[in-house]
This record gives sequence, C-alpha cells and structure tokens, in this order.
Amino acid sequence: MNMVQQFDPAQIDLSGDLGTPGATSNVMVTVQIDGMPVSVPEGTSVMRAAAMVGANIPKLCATDSLNAFGSCRLCLVEIEGRPGTPASCTTPCHEGMSVHTQTQRLDKLRKGVMELYISDHPLDCLTCPANGDCELQDMAGAVGLRDVRYGMAGENHLDRGKDESNPYFTFDSSKCIVCSRCVRACSEVQGTFALTIAGRGFGSQVSPSEQQPFLDSECVSCGACVQACPTATLQEKSVINLGVPSRKVKTTCAYCGVGCSFTAELRGDEVVRMVPDKQGGANEGHSCVKGRFAWGYAQHQDRVTTPMIRDSVEDEWRPVAWDEAIAFAADRLNAIKATHGVDAIGGITSSRCTNEEVYVVQKMVRAAFGTNNVDTCARVCHSPTGYGLKQTFGTSAGTQDFASVEHTDVMMVIGANPTDAHPVFGSRMKRRLRAGADLIVIDPRSIDLVRSPHIHAEHHLPLMPGTNVAVLNAISHVVATEGLIDEAFVAERCDMTSFKAWEAFIRLPENSPEALAEITGVASEALRAAARAYATAGNGAIYYGLGVTEHSQGSTMVMAMANLAMATGNIGRVGVGVNPLRGQNNVQGACDMGSFPHEFVGYRHVSDDTVREQFSAIWGVNLRDDPGMRIPNMLDSALSGSFRGIYIQGEDIAQSDPSTQHVADALTAMDCVIVQDLFLNETAKFAHVFLPGTSFLEKDGTFTNAERRINRVRPVMTSRTGRSEWEATCALSEGMGYPMPYESAAEIMDEIAELTPTFAGVSFDLLDRLGSVQWPCNDQAPTGTPIMHKDRFVRGEGQFVTTPYVPTDERSTRKFPLLLTTGRILSQYNVGAQTRRTENVVWHAEDVLDIHEADAEARGLKDGDWVEIASRAGQTRMRARISDDIPAGVVYTTFHHPISGTNVITTDNSDWATNCPEYKVTAVEIRPSSGQVA
Amino acid sequence: MSTAMDYQERHLVKMANQIAGNVPVRADVPQQISQHMRQFWTPVMQKSLRQIAAETPDSLCLDVHTALQNL
Repeated sequence: MNMVQQFDPAQIDLSGDLGTPGATSNVMVTVQIDGMPVSVPEGTSVMRAAAMVGANIPKLCATDSLNAFGSCRLCLVEIEGRPGTPASCTTPCHEGMSVHTQTQRLDKLRKGVMELYISDHPLDCLTCPANGDCELQDMAGAVGLRDVRYGMAGENHLDRGKDESNPYFTFDSSKCIVCSRCVRACSEVQGTFALTIAGRGFGSQVSPSEQQPFLDSECVSCGACVQACPTATLQEKSVINLGVPSRKVKTTCAYCGVGCSFTAELRGDEVVRMVPDKQGGANEGHSCVKGRFAWGYAQHQDRVTTPMIRDSVEDEWRPVAWDEAIAFAADRLNAIKATHGVDAIGGITSSRCTNEEVYVVQKMVRAAFGTNNVDTCARVCHSPTGYGLKQTFGTSAGTQDFASVEHTDVMMVIGANPTDAHPVFGSRMKRRLRAGADLIVIDPRSIDLVRSPHIHAEHHLPLMPGTNVAVLNAISHVVATEGLIDEAFVAERCDMTSFKAWEAFIRLPENSPEALAEITGVASEALRAAARAYATAGNGAIYYGLGVTEHSQGSTMVMAMANLAMATGNIGRVGVGVNPLRGQNNVQGACDMGSFPHEFVGYRHVSDDTVREQFSAIWGVNLRDDPGMRIPNMLDSALSGSFRGIYIQGEDIAQSDPSTQHVADALTAMDCVIVQDLFLNETAKFAHVFLPGTSFLEKDGTFTNAERRINRVRPVMTSRTGRSEWEATCALSEGMGYPMPYESAAEIMDEIAELTPTFAGVSFDLLDRLGSVQWPCNDQAPTGTPIMHKDRFVRGEGQFVTTPYVPTDERSTRKFPLLLTTGRILSQYNVGAQTRRTENVVWHAEDVLDIHEADAEARGLKDGDWVEIASRAGQTRMRARISDDIPAGVVYTTFHHPISGTNVITTDNSDWATNCPEYKVTAVEIRPSSGQVA
Repeated sequence: MSTAMDYQERHLVKMANQIAGNVPVRADVPQQISQHMRQFWTPVMQKSLRQIAAETPDSLCLDVHTALQNL
C-alpha cells in the first residue's frame, strides 16, 4: 500500500503553478489521486492536490494566483461514486475521495475542448512571441491534439485588431481564448477592475473599461493581466522585440519601500522582462507599473559610466580612470581636513543603495573622515518615525509584516496614498477591504482608497494640512473619555506612570473633537465615529506615510499614533500595529545601517561607551562619542564656511531637499562635492567629482523593506561602471588612509551581523536558503520576526508620551491664502531620475497643480491653465488641474520633474525633533500665468 | 531676533525655540531640551547657541536659556 503523502508546505515546489490557491484549514482530508494517497487541508481543490503529487491536470483558465473559475472545461476529472466529469479546479477534496485524472473518456473530452480552442486561434506558433512560453501550446501537447477537424473557414475572431497603445505590452484579441484570467487578475489581485468580458457567447471579448484602448482605460499597467495570460494575447513588448528569455536571476525591486521580489529574465546580458516572484514575501507574485516595467533607465543613454572630475564647477567635466578620480577626491578631502579640521567634511547615504553600500559609506565617514557627520535621505522622509517609535516602542521600525493586514478589521490610513506610492501593498489592502474590513482615511485629499471599485472608506477625515496631531489627540480623547481604553493591555504591557500622565493630558477638554473641529476642519461627529470604529472593531492597524512625518510636528504625530495603538491594545499581534510605509526601497535599511549622525548600526547612540568600543575594536580605529551634523546643519555650516566637503551617495539634494536656493548656495560654497549616482543629477551641477553608480540590476547586496524584510539584490548584469559602488567607497576610504579591504558584499554583511544584535543571524547564505528574513534575526529568532513587540516592547514597557498640538509657523494669510501639500503619483518615483527616463512619462509628462473648483473660479482659472505658485520661499509655474479630490483652501502637486521646481517654494520649516522638512504645508497664492519658466 | 545673525545662527535659534515649544513632557522643559541637545546636537552647535544666548538673549526663550546652563 502507498504511504499517505502529508501536506507539507516545505516539501511542495510552490514556484510551479498548482492551479488554485491553497486552503488554510487545519483539518486535513486524505484523497486518492490516480491511486496515490495525499493528505491536504480541507478546501483544497482536486486540481491542487493532484499537482502536489505530480499529477498535473491540463488547465487553461486556472492559475494558483486566482480563485478557481471553472470555465475552460479542460481540467475535467472522474471521481469514483460520482456522476459526470467535474472540473477539478472547482471541486474541493473530501475525505476518502478517489480521483482519476487520466482516462480514455477524459482524453476524448479534453481533446474535443482543445480542438475547439485551436479552431479559433491563429496557427502562427513559429512566429508567435510566446512560442515556447505558451500554455495553450503546452496544453495542446498535453492532451495529445494532433489535428483540428473544423478548419479555419468558419466564423472566428482572427481578424481582430491589436491594441498597442500601452507602452509596455500589447493586447492581441485574435489570440484570446476568453479564459478571463486577465479580468480576474485585474479584479482579484490588483483590485482595479479595469477589465471585463464584453458581449455574450461567441461575441465575448476582453474589454478594457468601456471597450477603450488600454492606455485610455482605467488600467494601471501593473502587469497582473500580462502575468496571468496563458497565451500571447497580453504580451510584453520587450518579449516581442527581444524574444523569449533564456536565463533568470532573482532579485529585488529598487523603487518603493514595499521591496517586491522579481525574477529578472534575460537573454545574455540583456533584461527581457521582470516577472514578480510568487514566493516573494513582500509581494507574493504581484507588481506595479514601476517595478514590472520601468527598469529601462538602467540602460538609458543619460547613464554616466565613467568617473569624472573638474577643478571648479565652472569647468567642463573631464572623464578619467577610477584611480585618478579616487585620488583627486581623496586629496581634496584630505586637504580640507588638514586645513579646516575633520568636522569640515561629511557624507550622505542613500536609501536607493544596498545595506552593504550604505554601511561602508557611514563607516568611511566615521573611521576615515574621523567625524560623525553622516546623514541619510531618510532625514527628509521618515526620520520622525525613527524618533517617535524609538521613544514609545523602543526601536525604529514598523511593527508588522505586510501579510498582517489580511487579519485587520479596521485600517486607519494616515497621510499615505498606498495605491499610488506603495501600489503592491495597496492592492493587498484593497483585497482585505473588499473582504469586509473597515477603512478610516485621515488625509486632506480624497485619495484613491476613499472611493474606488468595491471600496468605500466608511470614515474619511479631510483634515486641514498641519493638524495631524490635533486630529489624533481628538481621536485618543474619544477613546479615553468613552471607556474604550484596553485597560488590561495597558496594565500588563505599558509603563503606568507615563500612561497616567498621558491619560490626564488626553482627557483635557481642549483635546476634544468639538474643541479642535475649527482648527482641524473635521466635523466632531465624524471624528468620534472614526475613533469608535478603530477602538472597537477588533484588530485595528495604522498605516502611515510622509503625510505624517513631513510636518513640524512629525515626530509628535508618530508618538501620538503609538499612544493610540497602545491605549487600544492594537499592538503585538497579527492584524494590528503601527506601520510606516517607507518611501524608498531601502529607507529602513539605510536607517538600520547607522546612517544617522548620532547612531551606529542598529540604532545605538555614539555616546554609548560599550557600543563604541565594540565598533572601535572591529574597525581598528578610535571613534567619536559626539553626534555629527544632520544634512540641514551641514548645509548651514557650508554657508558659514566651516563645512567644505561632502560625499553624496545616490541622492539629489538639489532637487529633493526643501528651499532649493539655500541648498544650491550651500553646495556652491563647498570646496569638494562628490556625487555618486547613475546620472548627472541636479546636485552634480555643483560637484567636483562624479563617481558613476550602479543600477539595482548591477548590484550585489541586500535591501530592507518597510516590514523589516531583508531581501537579496543579485547582480543581473555586469556593472556598467566596471566596479561595485561599495568598491568605489572602499577605494576612497583607502585613499584617505583607512583601507576597508572587503572581498565581497557578503563579507560586508558578515561584519554587519557581527556588530548588530538584530542582524546577528543574517548572512547571504541564510537569505539564499530562506528567500528573505525580517529583523530581528538572531539566536532568539533564527528565521526572523514578522511581528514585533509580541510579549514585550523592545524598550520593555510601552512608553506613553504626551503630545500637545503646536501649530506650525506656516499658516495661510491674506497674501498666501492657500495651503500647498505634495505627494507622489503612481507612474513616477520621487525626483523622477529613474522613471522620467522610461516610458512612464506617457502617464505623467509634467507635474500639475490640483486646485479645487471654488479656488480656481475665484482666480479665473480653467483646467489646463498655466499658473504661478508663490510662497514666501519662492515661486514656480505649472499647469492647473481642477480637482474635487482636494478641499477648498488646499492645493496639491507632485515633485517628479525638476523643471517644476516644487521645492523652490517649500519652506525651511522642519520637524522639531529631527529636522525632517515640512513639505506638506506651504502657504501659497496661485495666480494665472502666461506660461512655463524659461 | 538680531538682524546681525547669519543663516546658521537664525536656524539654530529657530531649532532651539521649536524644541522648547514641542518637547512632550511639559513638567521639566529645560531638562528635556538639554537632553535632546546632548543627544542630537554637535558640540559646535551647542557652543554656537551658547554664544547666541550671550550676545542676543532675547532671541531665545527662557527654557532654552535654562537648558543651556544644564548642558
């Protein structure tokens, strides 16, 4: 007798397509598949059970990323004791069931079905771009189809046209078998519902929106439909142009903080396509338009691949060999050190670079430069997260994994627009919302989540920019005064002294929704309803973005959210938590890697003697115990003449940082500006040394995403610059007298692990074995930690912090009556250095200013008019778009195009604790303008 | 605030006063300011602020002055 094969996820090859999604039941049932016993969770389909024992049943409409549909009729099986031939994809396994997947009757039925499909399909396999990668072709072979009796003369769909409107993929309806996989992927996986089946019967066809071209439809080009298509109906243009890939490399996307895993598919050294990895912990097979398609910038003609130097920014760049560039940079920095002291130089690390690349830069600054003047671009995005979560929970990190949201009963989304800025997680949120979770959106704008297909935010609190803390205090006031505090959780897990102080503060009448309504613009009853929903729904989870942090009270707001989560017991288990949606791919990692001027790797203060001695011992150098300067302080010091040299890794501060003129003046004042980047960015205009960087396709290392997931970044192609970025940094360090003789990125990670308790178990070997791990990863958690603060907070007891609302200095006035806030759009990414060099510009060729109809009318503006935007910091121009997504009194724009000069008008206000710029509140006036700045 | 201050000095004053206005526990604001500065400000920045406090005392709030005595 055969042994029963138990369901064991570790033993199943999940990279293959098992046909239908897995079941989650703890109850196991045993069935016989062609005589082979297999034990699976109750609810598992016959198709999946069969695939698990290697009996792959022919299929076309089924794929394991989508719910079973049962339309293609190819996966028929026979079940003993049951009449007919049911579809195996829609038939669940039952105890004792005996299934036959291969019989003469089934063979005949399947051949008949395939014959019908093929009779209406172009017989152009040899010239088809999917030749060799086509499930229809595979299934024709699998069922043994040898001839088609019906000929091609009858009615068919072969003359249907091809939609080539999308820049990245084509839609060839003549090849469509109407399996609905694309339609279901768009709805189930992506949640956009842009596709449908139009018509009936033989006239049925896939239709984007109301039979529009893809480009004009609601399609967001995530690629889920292309991924799902079993034929060449939806096909990447890169595959059509280059051919079917011949080799694969697993790696990690370099756009947002979701950190999606991809398989790069290549021909030789040329990327043909990026396919989202089904086993990727962050994305589970999904992608967005940027990660899936917008990787062409890596080969863009603007890439600079040769080091360049110049004596003065007035001179032309002079391409030189690496050694000469490094020697030039080292001599300049050493000369500044000798003349002006070690604190006259510093460095900035990049969240677009790997953990290993960041680590060596901060090590070079501390050990070779001899200063703690190192900062990172997280200064301008999530530095308040670091401060606020460390004060309250004890460490700077989101509390959950992304999968946690599947157990959330109510989501509170604050100052984030996940469907644009973190689209793959946004899709995951939408799935949970469609399944019944409630939604609270706290945002001045009516973001996509507020109302989109099958989703409606029960609570949208459209607060005035700058009043986040007041709104959160009011929510906590309702919780505290209506008996909604989780007393047991607070007593067991939190510091009671701080709780009592906070409770006394939050109960003050001045924090009531009614008292704050005029300031916040949020109706008190709406706020009370949202507070009750969050506190009583069961699992309440907070997700937030830069709309929280980029304020003068960004850090206070982070602590206010942490207070609320602790007070309601929404921390320390699946489905809850406080979760920053990190802007760039490696913001978490760059912060983890000791990029802040007051902290070593792992968030340990430089004044801690024990920690510093540990680093000194391994690094072989004495280290400073005083904090270094933050970016704005370095720039200020440059203007006063005391700071004169800077190494800038992969960041364009002349475009991304606030008050552009101030940044430009500071950079101009320096004797040595070294820029390491892919392109000659805006900052490079002020540089003396340009060190060419590597794209993510050339990097070897790790990224850490917003859920603390450390993922491998593998070199897909050889470096176009001739060396890795960390090698360039090490060469510069050696030129300054401090060699860092690493042989590989893996060796750098080994040193990180040796010095960092939360990374102690991390190695490239471990990551290659497990795919990814979430820190802390050490002896206590050898495979990582998906949920933090489960039994105790990192700091021991959770610390409540009182959070008085202090209005920003930036207020609307008669001269500047509107409040400008900024954000991202789906197709573009931050300053656009990458996405502007891809076909994504078709969706967003320029930044525009969204303005409410009433504000536009008051200024005589029509949709599409040029407008001048003036603030007390500066002025710029762009086109206006009348929008009802924003309330009157507020205007909104993106900052993806340097010509827009959005940061010319943002002010020098910043978060009180971290100096994170207040991008989200700028008082402006809008006037009609004749046109764009020359 | 003195018009003689340069950008860096004006920024330091703004930062210090902003910290004073925002530190969470209002019971001992100077103590929290000095703790914050020790943790995040360079010695040069602290020294500069002391100098500003001496030269243009009106630019800084009372809590900052008290905090500087604790640094």
